[in-house]
Amino acid sequence: MSGDVAITLRNVVKRYGDHEVLRGIDLDVRHGEVTCLIGPSGSGKSTLLRCVAFLEEHDAGIIRIGGAPLGFDERPDGSRIRLPITEIARVRRNIGMVFQQFNLWPHMTALGNVAEGLRQVLRLHKREAHDRAMAHLTRVGLAERASYYPSQLSGGQQQRVAIARALAMDPKIMLFDEPTSSLDPELTGEVLNVMRDLAAEGMTMLVVTHEIGFAAHVAQHVVFLDQAQIALEGRASDVFRKPWHPRMAQFLETYLDRGASVLLGN
Amino acid sequence: MTWIHVYLLAVGAVVTAGLSVVSITVGLAIGILVCAASLSRAAPLRWAARVYVSFFRGVPLLVLLLLIYHLLPQIGIDVPGVVAALVGLTLCTSAYQAETLRGGFVNIAPGLVEAGRMIGLNATQLLVRIRAPIALRLTLPALVNEGIMILKASSLVSVVGVGDITRTAQNLSSSTYRPIEMFATAGVFYLLLNVIVTRGGNGLGRLLGLPRT
Amino acid sequence: MMDLDALSDAFPEILDGLWLTIFMWLAGSALAPLLGLAVALARRFGPAWVDRPLWAIVEVIRGTPFLVQMFLLYYGGPFIGLDLEPTTAGLLGLTIYGAAYFSEILRGGLIAVPKGHVEAALCVGLNRMQIIRRILLPEMTLLVLPASVNMFIVLLKETAVLSIVTVPELTMAVTGFGSANFAFTQAALVLALCYWSLTELSGLVGRALERRLDRFRIA
Repeated sequence: MSGDVAITLRNVVKRYGDHEVLRGIDLDVRHGEVTCLIGPSGSGKSTLLRCVAFLEEHDAGIIRIGGAPLGFDERPDGSRIRLPITEIARVRRNIGMVFQQFNLWPHMTALGNVAEGLRQVLRLHKREAHDRAMAHLTRVGLAERASYYPSQLSGGQQQRVAIARALAMDPKIMLFDEPTSSLDPELTGEVLNVMRDLAAEGMTMLVVTHEIGFAAHVAQHVVFLDQAQIALEGRASDVFRKPWHPRMAQFLETYLDRGASVLLGN
Repeated sequence: MTWIHVYLLAVGAVVTAGLSVVSITVGLAIGILVCAASLSRAAPLRWAARVYVSFFRGVPLLVLLLLIYHLLPQIGIDVPGVVAALVGLTLCTSAYQAETLRGGFVNIAPGLVEAGRMIGLNATQLLVRIRAPIALRLTLPALVNEGIMILKASSLVSVVGVGDITRTAQNLSSSTYRPIEMFATAGVFYLLLNVIVTRGGNGLGRLLGLPRT
Repeated sequence: MMDLDALSDAFPEILDGLWLTIFMWLAGSALAPLLGLAVALARRFGPAWVDRPLWAIVEVIRGTPFLVQMFLLYYGGPFIGLDLEPTTAGLLGLTIYGAAYFSEILRGGLIAVPKGHVEAALCVGLNRMQIIRRILLPEMTLLVLPASVNMFIVLLKETAVLSIVTVPELTMAVTGFGSANFAFTQAALVLALCYWSLTELSGLVGRALERRLDRFRIA
């Protein structure tokens, strides 16, 4: 199944004022693959992910989700038109997003967070939404925390609830924006394990991460962003074993210094 | 509406400004004392401060003014209405300022005081050099707000016969039968005084190097 | 000493005044946040041209004394065809006055809801109305609770000002009794104690409510 393409970016440009944060990105994310976006901070990787969720609007180029244009379409004459909001919502339904800051809604329980989209968007009956939400909480190992409020959960638990919330909407693609970066080191493992299980089930995942070990072991496809451009991409084994790009080598070195060489299995 | 009316209202504005400045200043002094009492180690002092703050914040200023206006002569202090007005405004604002200052002191980052202790400052030096200035910086925006509050609240002194903006507008309105013009102009004077207080607060903030609000 | 017979004669009137004070306060406390919310939502999500005029109105109301506003409404109203009963004028004035402050409190609350919470809702597929209703309003309520409790207490105290425009509420009833019996001081003292109890009580209720909602707060 890994033949067809889940996400396509063609010449995607994003600017903040005069500052270009993405300079013509071309990228294909294939179905059933885990793609990791790595790179130094400020390289544009989070912006790229947020463009794919249409939380940021790209200034030029085109993004397709499962073939359908996201946010903007190009006319045959090359001009751009903004798609209607209902169309944006329809395309976005294919995507689940997990944020660095979890972004659980504080006034709802863990179960309430997961059930919200099922009730309000899919219009499921209370009972069915409850059962499905419970199933997803069970999947991330938090069934017994269903009635807890976010303030009563650890960071790792909150992030797992956030993953369950995204999965409950049955997305075809999951986006992860530095999902472990605001967690204490001892809590990153539980989140990475859930992500690893998800990958093993064949979920299409696009992950911005600093967890080089995760990228090296789980990703099929690694993209190294540097200075608003893709500097290097390829199969994980190729990118990490033969980092021929000088910036990539330099970037990896900072991680190798931190003992990541063990994880890379060199 | 003639220039005479505007002039009379401007005189009222001077009275309003005077009342506000005096009560804010004296209120700050009393507020500092009440704040010190509320942070004191002696429980009776803390309780007294709490009751003081609770009472003067909990009673409407109008009721407080009526109480003082009638109470002072009864206990043998015969003073004009303007003094009763000043006493009422001052007691009211002192309670609010005490609470604001207390918030400032309580919210000082402990590390800043510890840093002072580590370079060898004693308790008095810590209070005078570190804690009080930081508390003041933290509370300046709230104190400016309090200035605006008291400016507006001072309109109530009109009920004890003090010729402030509001009282003047009332008199003019009943003598000219033009309440809309008179009270609207009174409102403009209050807005002007607000702008002056806000500008002054911003200027003071810049002097103290505070971030702009 | 206060004349007890006179007091018992006046008691029904004073009780009526107390009920009217409580009624004005509760009605104003219900209407002001609603009008304030409408203003806050219009300024935040409405068309751009409504923001400036609403801002100006809110600033004028917040910048001038409630008493002057009441004089303008009560004495100036008839000149523009707004001839209201004192109680109606009082409630209208209290509502408009409170709404100006509440609109700022609520607007601040809307702005303070973390952007990520809205983004998460977008990603789950909630539409604009659902996001306002299900995410923004509940989270905002939590954020504005302390400031709102303060504002409710301010409104309670401002009801006393309505006595000046002859609304027969507590302050007017008690001072009326005082002037009829030359017992101003006692009357004012009783009045002060009444308001003090009411404000302390509402402060207690407000703080209890805040504690109950504490578990929703993410540190």
